[in-house]
Amino acid sequence: MSRLIVDTVTKRYGAHLAVDGVSFEVEPGRIFGVLGPNGAGKTSTIRMITYITSPDEGRITFGGEPVGPASQQRMGYLPEERGLYRKMKVGEQLVYLGQLKGLSKSEARDAARRWLDRFDARSWASKKVEELSKGMQQKVQFIATILHDPQLLIFDEPFSGLDPINAALLQDIILELREAGRTILFASHRMEQVEQLCDDLFLIANGREVLHGSLRDVKRSFGKNTVTMEFSGGDGFLDQLEEREAIRVRSRTAGHAEFRLLGETTARQVLETALPRVDELYRFELNEPPLSEIFVMAVNGQSPDTLEPA
Amino acid sequence: MNKIPLIARSEYLRRVRTKTFIIATVLAPVMLLALIAVSVGVGVLTQEGGARTVTIIDETEAGLGDALAERLPDNYSAMVEAAPLDSLRARVERGVLDGYFVLPAGLLDGEEEAAFYSEGVGGFSSQMRLQRAVEDVVRRARLRATGASDDVLQAAEAGVPMRMVALTEEGEAEDTSWVYSGIGYAMGFIIYIAMFVYGAMVMRGVIEEKTNRIVEVVASSAKPFQLMMGKVLGIGAVGLTQFVLWVVLALAGLFVAGTVLGTMVDPTTLAGTEGAEMQELPFDPSNFSLADIPFDLIAYFLLFFLGGYLLYGSLFAAVGSAVEQESDAQSLQAPILIPVILPALFLPFIADNPDAPASVVLSLIPFFSPILMVVRAAATDVPFWQMALALGLLAAAFIATIWLASRIYRVGILMYGKKASFKDLARWVRYA
Repeated sequence: MSRLIVDTVTKRYGAHLAVDGVSFEVEPGRIFGVLGPNGAGKTSTIRMITYITSPDEGRITFGGEPVGPASQQRMGYLPEERGLYRKMKVGEQLVYLGQLKGLSKSEARDAARRWLDRFDARSWASKKVEELSKGMQQKVQFIATILHDPQLLIFDEPFSGLDPINAALLQDIILELREAGRTILFASHRMEQVEQLCDDLFLIANGREVLHGSLRDVKRSFGKNTVTMEFSGGDGFLDQLEEREAIRVRSRTAGHAEFRLLGETTARQVLETALPRVDELYRFELNEPPLSEIFVMAVNGQSPDTLEPA
Repeated sequence: MNKIPLIARSEYLRRVRTKTFIIATVLAPVMLLALIAVSVGVGVLTQEGGARTVTIIDETEAGLGDALAERLPDNYSAMVEAAPLDSLRARVERGVLDGYFVLPAGLLDGEEEAAFYSEGVGGFSSQMRLQRAVEDVVRRARLRATGASDDVLQAAEAGVPMRMVALTEEGEAEDTSWVYSGIGYAMGFIIYIAMFVYGAMVMRGVIEEKTNRIVEVVASSAKPFQLMMGKVLGIGAVGLTQFVLWVVLALAGLFVAGTVLGTMVDPTTLAGTEGAEMQELPFDPSNFSLADIPFDLIAYFLLFFLGGYLLYGSLFAAVGSAVEQESDAQSLQAPILIPVILPALFLPFIADNPDAPASVVLSLIPFFSPILMVVRAAATDVPFWQMALALGLLAAAFIATIWLASRIYRVGILMYGKKASFKDLARWVRYA
């Protein structure tokens, strides 16, 4: 099986410890999300997986073999910082990048044509990259990543700079690749995308693992402690509850509030406080916290165990 | 699979197809030709090859006027007249006459001086020719006045030919070192320019990949060493292409120019005007053609051209990898530029003294040899062991710099933000 295994990997740059004993496994047919604040060690980790750099300690294997020139041929990497040869024509560029990945010239040409058609972009082939818009360049780069039908795909912020229609197209293709049993690593800051796409999560901060598991398990471990309310009338009850340290408000607009239950507070207590004070109640929902909240809590060093359960 | 040829090919095609390359390749010789044409044109104009009419006022008793009329260059038609000076002057002003000589009575005794009056004093070479004509005529008359016979006159006027002979293993040969040191000079200069131009091209290519952020994509497909070597070789091929095209254009240009000149210029005027100066050269350049450049010199030139380019090209790549903008590269470039510039300063000395011990030592140093050894090889017979040693040292230096440069390159291409210092570069080399 084409499983990617990162085994207690450490990377130092001089005195700086960029990645500190990180381990995870990425299964084929699943999308593995790597999250982390800037400078957390995401890019350093990805560069070791793509064999651009090598770990100081630990090992990385793909399909049972240590990563190296051979695994590079079987992986496609879309870096966060995009780049293409500006003076080169799109078609030539795709063929060249495909050849670098070990395709023959005709294979690369066929694949480039097929994917440009899929993106409705056949006419771009003879254009220079610098003549294309940023979004178009983004798509060309995406095609370059998947052109050689790699087993392992690494997407770093693949949707940035794309309009919603093209983002949806990319998402469809990524999901198709998952169905086709590819091993997919997805790095992003955009929590709603991670929530939508990823099966598994790995949260890294300061080079260390902070959270790790399937999306469902991670969310479950944080419990159902987040309330979403829609109502009409005064919202002074929220201030009262917050003063008593019963809740912490995350977002609040007229007639809408989202907050976390603190300590021993139950949803029922909140509801009882609210009901006499609002004119009408349209929605009262107890949920798992959104990933963005988990992200912030986890990075700030609060593990699920130390968090107050709902 | 080795990706270096694939990368080199792409680097090559990407550059050769650009408009800038085509324009630069075509325009450079055109500009050069234009420059030559202008300087030749200026030369022709100042030669005053056109017919000129002059008058000679002869006040000498020996009748020097007629002798001078005969001795003047072919394009001068001279008449000995006894017209008043102011009427001659008026004729010059009206443009009927180009000028007039005055040969005063005391000229032969050296008491008075000859003079030539014209609207423009004329170029330096035409002044020289007129002066020489007058001198010849006066000297002959003075000799004759002492009662010298025709034999004496002939002996005094006969040219003094001298030739330089080099003793070689094959026997005696026309010593052409004068021309060869010129060729060596030119070859050394070409290598010097090429290292700058194509080295800078390598550096720009690396910086471009870095600022375009494509480097991470290609670095996940090939080893940094392959990327660097592919780029250096690809651009080297661009340089060779440009070079070959220029040589072809130059030969074609020479052929065409030769034919055109041959039909346009009367050989007798050429001989009349330039022949005198040429006799003073130890060697006649018109007997020399490109085909006379020995094959081994061309081979050495190409070897050192390639060796020097590879040596410096990889260093330029390393510098390029450490910066994000060309302007940031200046301080890091210094240690590369100095060893290129130094030998250019030694060039004149080496060309003049190709066998001096200092020349031998300097031309063996790997960072200097691409320029200096070629100059020596052209100017003298470099012993085989020296050539072999220089090439061996160059190859060793090349392997060392490639190793060093690829280590810097590997780390540098992924570094963004901070401007790198030499300390950083040294640290990168040590990274595992």
